[in-house]
Amino acid sequence: MKKYRKLLAAVLAGAMTVAMSAGVQAAAEDGYIVKATNTEAKSSDNDFVIAIEGSVSSMDPANIPDTSAISATRGVYENLVQFNEDQEIVGQLAKSWEVSDDSLTYTFKLQEGVKFHDGTDFNSAAIKANYDRVVDEKNKLRQRRTFIVAQNDGTEKERVASIETPDDYTVIFTLSEPWSPFINRLTQFCIISPAALEEYGNDIMNHPCGTGPYICTEWEEGDHTSFKRNEDYWGEKPGVDTVTIKEVPEAGSRTAMLQTGEADMIYPTPADQIEAIKSVDDVNVLTADSNIMRYVTLNMDLPELQDQKVRQAMNYAIDKDAYIALMYSGNGKPATSIVPSIIGGYEEQTPYTYDVEKAKELMKEAGYEDGFKLTLWGDNTTQEIKGMTFVKQQLAQIGIEVEVMPMESATVNDKIYVEKDEAEINMWYVNWSASDFTMDGSVRSLLYSTMCPPTSANTAYYNNPDFDKLLDEGLHTADLEEQAKVYSEAQKMAWDAAPWLFLGNDQIIYSTKSYVSGVYVAPDGAFNFAHAQLAQ
Amino acid sequence: MGRYFGKRLLSTIPLLLVISFLVFMFIHMIPGDPARLIAGQDATKADVEVVREQLGLNKPLLVQYGEYMKGLFTGDLGMSIKNGKTVVETIAPRLKPTIMLTISSMIWAALIGIILGIISAVFHGRILDYIGMLIAISGISVPSFWLGLEMMQLFSVKLGMLPTSGLETWQSYILPSLTMGAGIMAVLGRFTRSSMLETMREDYVRTARAKGLKESLVVMRHAFKNSLIEIITVAGLQIGGLLSGSVMAETVFAIPGLGRLLVDSINFRDYKVVQALLLFFAAEYIFINLIVDILYGVINPKVRYD
Amino acid sequence: MAELKTNNNKEMFATGEELPKAQSKVKEFVKKFVKRKTAVISLIFIIFIILMAVIAPYVVPYAPDQPDYTNLLQGPSTAHIWGTDEFGQDVFSRLMVGGRLSLSCALIATIVGTALGVVLGLIAGFYGGFWDSLIMRCCDVLFAFPDILLAIAVVAIIGQGMVNVMIAVAVFTVPSFARIIRSATLSVKQAPYVEVARSLGCKNSRILFVHVFPGTIQSMIVNFTMRIGTAILAASSLSFLGFGANVTEPDWGAMLSQGRNYLNTAPHMVLFPGILIFLTVLAFNLLGDGLRDTLDPKMN
Repeated sequence: MKKYRKLLAAVLAGAMTVAMSAGVQAAAEDGYIVKATNTEAKSSDNDFVIAIEGSVSSMDPANIPDTSAISATRGVYENLVQFNEDQEIVGQLAKSWEVSDDSLTYTFKLQEGVKFHDGTDFNSAAIKANYDRVVDEKNKLRQRRTFIVAQNDGTEKERVASIETPDDYTVIFTLSEPWSPFINRLTQFCIISPAALEEYGNDIMNHPCGTGPYICTEWEEGDHTSFKRNEDYWGEKPGVDTVTIKEVPEAGSRTAMLQTGEADMIYPTPADQIEAIKSVDDVNVLTADSNIMRYVTLNMDLPELQDQKVRQAMNYAIDKDAYIALMYSGNGKPATSIVPSIIGGYEEQTPYTYDVEKAKELMKEAGYEDGFKLTLWGDNTTQEIKGMTFVKQQLAQIGIEVEVMPMESATVNDKIYVEKDEAEINMWYVNWSASDFTMDGSVRSLLYSTMCPPTSANTAYYNNPDFDKLLDEGLHTADLEEQAKVYSEAQKMAWDAAPWLFLGNDQIIYSTKSYVSGVYVAPDGAFNFAHAQLAQ
Repeated sequence: MGRYFGKRLLSTIPLLLVISFLVFMFIHMIPGDPARLIAGQDATKADVEVVREQLGLNKPLLVQYGEYMKGLFTGDLGMSIKNGKTVVETIAPRLKPTIMLTISSMIWAALIGIILGIISAVFHGRILDYIGMLIAISGISVPSFWLGLEMMQLFSVKLGMLPTSGLETWQSYILPSLTMGAGIMAVLGRFTRSSMLETMREDYVRTARAKGLKESLVVMRHAFKNSLIEIITVAGLQIGGLLSGSVMAETVFAIPGLGRLLVDSINFRDYKVVQALLLFFAAEYIFINLIVDILYGVINPKVRYD
Repeated sequence: MAELKTNNNKEMFATGEELPKAQSKVKEFVKKFVKRKTAVISLIFIIFIILMAVIAPYVVPYAPDQPDYTNLLQGPSTAHIWGTDEFGQDVFSRLMVGGRLSLSCALIATIVGTALGVVLGLIAGFYGGFWDSLIMRCCDVLFAFPDILLAIAVVAIIGQGMVNVMIAVAVFTVPSFARIIRSATLSVKQAPYVEVARSLGCKNSRILFVHVFPGTIQSMIVNFTMRIGTAILAASSLSFLGFGANVTEPDWGAMLSQGRNYLNTAPHMVLFPGILIFLTVLAFNLLGDGLRDTLDPKMN
């Protein structure tokens, strides 16, 4: 499921702010912004407490609205395959898998001897039962859209033509047509105990039952979610007795909890809190690369923005380094392509180096020496507003007068998804994260010609048949070399056309007590506590 | 009195019906499509249509209202679109924190407010009067979220005396209820003062004084006792206002209460939850007014129920 | 307001007997008012803030929207007496210029709300019957929601921005005014001079505006003054909850709300706007209180 992580992004964004006196902090190379000097610290108990900003709004892994819920469900549930810490896809409940040459058939060999928390056996029938549940329209599950494509004529098409279980530990998925992100999507397809599903139906969110290292003991939305160790876990034994995820939206409160030891980990850590944390000697502040792409779409149908020179001039007029410094205290990188470097097929492009003179020159060549007026839409969180204000200030240098219009995200959506002839959009300050980490997931909805609103989110109204063709070729082959070639060409094409103001990719920042190990935050913002250890 | 109560209770029904209709219409006038929020930014138009149909949002508004009202009378308030919990399941756990906060804020606000009011009235026109009223009026002059944030910064972060969030211990109630109660304290302080000034001019108070009773006795037994009815009335009316204070305090101090739920649900266009909450707030306000009216009569037998 | 007053005086003059008395009333009022020191200080502070808002753009040391990326979030210094914000903009200059937006927003919202409330209250109180019921029941409905919820609902529907925030604030000002003016009207209606005017065969509309309306002015002025304070607070609360006015403009509420992310690293960004809002609202409330005490015969 390609998910626009707007909720998380807003949450992250709201929290990350500029450290005051520290000035610009260098992006940490080894992942540490602050390394604890006291590495001998011990935990007083074996209970792991994580304070998070967002809300665990669901414990049904097939019906998840945000990243906090993904993190929480991953303690209880497991998938066929998963991303490891190095962002490679490896087996989890699948021991191994094979893809046929025509990229249509995926055959999985399953782990044996795995049991669900209710004591029933995990087997191929469980996979099929979960798939059937997800695609059943009656269940109204969000994940259904991963496997079902709604066509424009109102009919639906299943991506999976058939699912076979020749024996207890083999599953064969046959696709209706080649679709390279399939394996990535399976990293989000959690397997629930079929017996529990039978008993609770869609109330399963209140009775989570999976195969994971932790058993959910309490889920109180808006307050906390607790887990205890699964003594019978089939893999490496879990390291801590209990895990508690506490929801603490105010950044200062989270920091205080880490300082006093009320929490062992806080996520996210706003950049402006780092100074405050430094005073404690047993805390690590860590960064992780993210899949967040921050940009401003330019409506290419507007007369002022039709000329490529104007759009390039605007890109030259933005000081990307200042943006990262101002917005993320230096914990991020200027954008170097239309996707973050962590996306499969990424290739670095020639940067639009900050150069106001060159920008003015280009504006002059395009006949807009005196500039023009534009509106800029975006969310109404403090951090998004700050970013928009920065863009306004930068574009003022080349005579473009920007009116910043922050709105609730639901209102922005309403104004964006309209028929083409009613479109009022000029510029949109936005971000995108493809949680399947594929090139197609990153750009199809945003730049493919038929994806213009109201169909989808191509708000630049970028329309280039050559680009479309390259994307389609990439989607229909599972051959990585072939993919790399077409995606390289596609990236260059879109980068030069400049349908967006390319801003940056910020990093995820989190902090732990130095006695915590084995925890990490994945680039999609979900944290993984399956192998957490507390030194005692 | 029973009849009067019954009559008043009945008269709230049309009011609640009108409110339910207005709330329903207003919510659907708010721009923003929940189906789009659920389907995701990259969902195609067809995907969004499917979700809209699932949610029943494609039916005419009046039909939706009819279904909503039918549900209301059968106790079915619908489902939250966020995670498929029922509205009752969503709201129920949020009640306790807000109610507890409301009570604790009311208690300290009434106590301090009334004391300030009495002091100001007794020392009318003198320096203590000015100081008392300055403190009271400060309470309605300060942006409550700012007050909360600054107090948190001082007492929790700098001094480490009080918890920053949650409602686990009695200490954790202090900062949020101070934040919430400031305004009420002001209103009650001011009102107590003017009400006391009035009663202290009444004949029976003068008589008491002339009889040579101690001034403190005059103030407490005669003047204050007779002002109390009006003070209770005003205090009761303020409870409705406390709910808006709870939005701020709950946001600042990370308390999972009704106020925060409301703002989150508006942002998520979780229609059913917003509807239920607004209706709940309105009903609560109306009933508190009703109870205050009744109490007024119990305390002051002079009031007749016609 | 001023215009209304002169009109009244003219009308009163025309009827022949009221003018000398009115004048002495004003004198008496001023004499009593200056005795209330808190109210006098508040009035002076308010005049000062309004003057500042008018002349600020010409006298502040920095342009309010002048970014300086090399001087982010600096604490108070001689160059920037109240420090700089997250863009390196001068906080003092922004607050002074911002007074314009914040005060005019509050004033306009309150004036519109008051005007509507007064008209509705007069009609309800004077004509009674159907109109009274209709207007008062509408007020009941509005009253059933806490102020800030009402404002959020209005902004959520009509969108964000300065004008819309004004409308939202005006909306919740209306019912309380309608109620106050209605009861004032009811008591004035019983006054002997109104009875006399009626028996002399005056038209309803003339009685309403010439005789009844002036009688309600007193409670209107007091509540108007206090409502301005409420309006400033409401606008900043809306900003805090993300439903505020335009954020790139130096509005007090927006600055306070944007600054809260820097509470523990750049506290001056929250402290100065907070104090300024607090003092201004306090001044309006103390002034209103002073006016009430002065105008209320029972309080003397």
